[in-house]
Amino acid sequence: MSFQIPCPHCGPRSVYEFRFGGEVKARPAPGASEDAWFEYTYVKVNEAGVQKEWWYHRSGCRQWLQAVRNTRTNEVLETFFPDQNA
Amino acid sequence: MIFHFNGKPVEAREGDTVASALYRSGQRIFSRSFKYHRPRGLLCANGKCPNCLMNVDGAPNIRTCITPAREGMRVEHQNAWPSLELDYLSFGQHFDWLMPVGWYYKMFTDPASWHAVEPYIRKAAGLGRAPEPGYPDREYEHSHRQAEVAVIGGGPAGLAAAIEAGGRGEQVILVDDQAALGGHLRYRKSGAETPEALVARLRQMPSVEVIAPAYCFGLYEGGLLGVLQVNPHAGAAERLIHLRARRVVVATGVYEAPLTFVKNDLPGVMLSSAAERLIHLHGITPGRSAVVVGEGPRAEEIATVLRSAGVEVAGTTAPNLVVSARGTSCLTGLQTRDFDFPCDLVVVCGHRIPDAGLIAQAGGRIDWNAATGAFMPVELPPNVTAVGEVNGLSLTPAVELPPPELSPSKRAFVCFCSDVTTSDIVDGIGEGFDRIETLKRYTTTTMGPCQGRMCQLPAIGICARTTGRGMQETGTTTSRPPNPSVTLGALAGPRHHPIRRTPMHDRHEALGAVWLDMGDWKRPRYYKTAGCGGEKQCVEEEYRAVRERAGVIDVSTLGKLDVKGRDTGKLLDKVYTNRFSDLKPGRVRYAALCDEAGIMLDDGTTSRLSENRWFLTTTTGNLDFVQQWLEWWLVGSGWDVHVTNLTSGMASVNLAGPAARDVLRKLTDCDLDTKAFPYMACREAAVAGVPAVLMRIGFVGETGWEIHIPAESGAHLWDAVMKAGAEFGIRAFGVEAQRVLRLEKRHVIVGVDTDALTNPFEAGMEWIAKLDKDDFIGKASLERLRALPAQQCLVGFVMMEEALPEDGAAVLIDGKLAGRVTSARYSPVNGKAVGLAWTSASVAREGAEIMVRVDGRPARARVTGQAFYDPEGARLRM
Repeated sequence: MSFQIPCPHCGPRSVYEFRFGGEVKARPAPGASEDAWFEYTYVKVNEAGVQKEWWYHRSGCRQWLQAVRNTRTNEVLETFFPDQNA
Repeated sequence: MIFHFNGKPVEAREGDTVASALYRSGQRIFSRSFKYHRPRGLLCANGKCPNCLMNVDGAPNIRTCITPAREGMRVEHQNAWPSLELDYLSFGQHFDWLMPVGWYYKMFTDPASWHAVEPYIRKAAGLGRAPEPGYPDREYEHSHRQAEVAVIGGGPAGLAAAIEAGGRGEQVILVDDQAALGGHLRYRKSGAETPEALVARLRQMPSVEVIAPAYCFGLYEGGLLGVLQVNPHAGAAERLIHLRARRVVVATGVYEAPLTFVKNDLPGVMLSSAAERLIHLHGITPGRSAVVVGEGPRAEEIATVLRSAGVEVAGTTAPNLVVSARGTSCLTGLQTRDFDFPCDLVVVCGHRIPDAGLIAQAGGRIDWNAATGAFMPVELPPNVTAVGEVNGLSLTPAVELPPPELSPSKRAFVCFCSDVTTSDIVDGIGEGFDRIETLKRYTTTTMGPCQGRMCQLPAIGICARTTGRGMQETGTTTSRPPNPSVTLGALAGPRHHPIRRTPMHDRHEALGAVWLDMGDWKRPRYYKTAGCGGEKQCVEEEYRAVRERAGVIDVSTLGKLDVKGRDTGKLLDKVYTNRFSDLKPGRVRYAALCDEAGIMLDDGTTSRLSENRWFLTTTTGNLDFVQQWLEWWLVGSGWDVHVTNLTSGMASVNLAGPAARDVLRKLTDCDLDTKAFPYMACREAAVAGVPAVLMRIGFVGETGWEIHIPAESGAHLWDAVMKAGAEFGIRAFGVEAQRVLRLEKRHVIVGVDTDALTNPFEAGMEWIAKLDKDDFIGKASLERLRALPAQQCLVGFVMMEEALPEDGAAVLIDGKLAGRVTSARYSPVNGKAVGLAWTSASVAREGAEIMVRVDGRPARARVTGQAFYDPEGARLRM
């Protein structure tokens, strides 16, 4: 694993500068069904293809960002600072 | 220039490699083979084959044919006893009928027999010995470089590509693994181009840098190249360069691989390019009388080269006419279908193979091309180009592939690294391993130090012929980095371990601290004072100081976060399980956080210094996680909260004990009376003249204050506290005493007493989960968990006999394993060991009896729900 992530603040940087934060998922509203919480807490899509995910630039600007990455090729298509905690 | 080979001096000339100097001195056997200990001589003279591996200055498996000779080097042979010329272990080859392909899978099916013979096989077979600990005395370096264009290979094509890119003003790094730039132009004159002219042009280009000699062992995603430089400077053994390039130009050229005939491994059988190198690069006449095996212009060319060097060419023969080389330890002749040539050198015009490993491992496609007799790159990975001979376009086949006929032999070697013969390959296919990838694993062909360079094409040829599948369908084995191999030390990098010291480190050192590593931090485990016996006595004295007088501990390693903003209470309410928005300024509250599954992640304290200023502590190891966790939940919230890490900026001590107030009173004007400054309160005040945050908390169970001040005043505060406390008999205490003190209070350490499955209910801390809050992280799971019966519980226990369980000791109920001890220490107050243990919920009641295994036998213990010391907490509030 040696791809680069174009940090919206710092530019393209080695993936080793980042911490992976998992798939981007919407958190259920308080009082949502047990199934909804179960899905959110335990079930990962584990997409073989393009997915949106969280990354933290720990050795750089120390900000959370989201990246759209192809998990098969490690091609990072897009990165941005999200304005909604989706 | 003189170096030593097996203790004897060898003369080397300018430009010599270790192997060329040895060859000039008359050395013909350079190694003994892996399995049969057959003598092996120079084959490729280009760092591609395993034949010249030796120990150089303590490092095993060095390719001596590409290692420049240096004054005073110590070179030793490997895998032969007593010498290369007379190796008693070579008697093994007479028992080759006992060692058919895959023989150890077949013979040692019973583990006992394998274990009985394994040490002998390990000793008899193999390569060099691992170096002694402490080797090398120099560092392995890492460096990170960037380039617009990386050119791999310094031959004519690589030089031209670098000059072209340099001419455009692009920043270029050229990597070449040879002693000098120029590639084959150095030893094979062709046309008008001379390497000197190309190199001179290259050197004039300001944007082109040459890293050589260095080899590229991998092309990874994102244009990352692994480059290894041996002896980069006097202070480093090797340097691993992480080279990131926008574009990669592969100009690795071709290399030559041997042809298969009987005894093709005898010293004296040499590849044509090796003979050229010895003659043109080192001025060595490789033999007296030679036979050239080859056809067409290449055979004529090499015959001319040999004659010009003074070698008598006894004949030239087509490869398909060769029957066998003759000789026992060195070549004496070549038998063909027509003639029997006496000779001391056979020069083989071998397979010419595009060195496309980098392209293949980076995802390029390599296809068979019958016209050129080579697997050639046909599709390149993104941002990779291939220039020059690596494209294979000008090649002609050395022999027909797949071979028109096969006569398997136990002396015709395919794999020189692990002694795999043509008959081994055919047998392996016959036993069902008829795909190239399974054949590789079964016979170990292509798995040795040469990484398949010498053996892959012949093996594919035999496989294709035997299975009738053809070369393209048979295909190549997977190419993976690192290739060539890399020293493990180079990958591991410099032996630097970061150490974090608190601002009071020197004070602890002066007090005789015995250190404990906690992550990167150094913390005093205990202080070995003069006149104190062992650890047990020292810790007990520190313990007594805290319980009876006053003690002070450096807690600077605690994670410390400054959290500011109008919405801090909202954030803390959401992230922590407890409620904070109602915390009054000047008050402290215990804080625990869970993930969405209700698992406890961390704990600490939260102090509200003023309306919008908060001060959080976390456990030593979890600071980064907690800070990132808080910031993650802030993303997109629109809340006014700012989190700043103050851990290294603040020094912290915990001053505790019945006399703590008397000590602190001498250092501050702050009213310390328990009415003005009660338990779980916080204040900002000057201590010893320095602005400080004071928190009255009680981790160790006595009246005490945690004092946080700017790091630069840490040593000053420590000195002031020790001086003020002297009249009260104050003592510094370490982590071990603190663990006893906190355990007596039954305070849980998250990560020690809890694990990755612990929820607050099972940990007996249901009071931290405020389920009446609208929402917080983990609430949904905790609501569900509360309704479920607990399976396991964290219980406190007091031993009923003289026995001290180790942390992790087994808990037994009715003789069956039913849990484990997480912490146990001797409690001076109880006169017995006390501890915490995970065990079945059925015994989680006051007075229940459990057994704990101590020194291999069960010992009785009584479960208790109370703290082991001052259960009412009266002493905290005094």
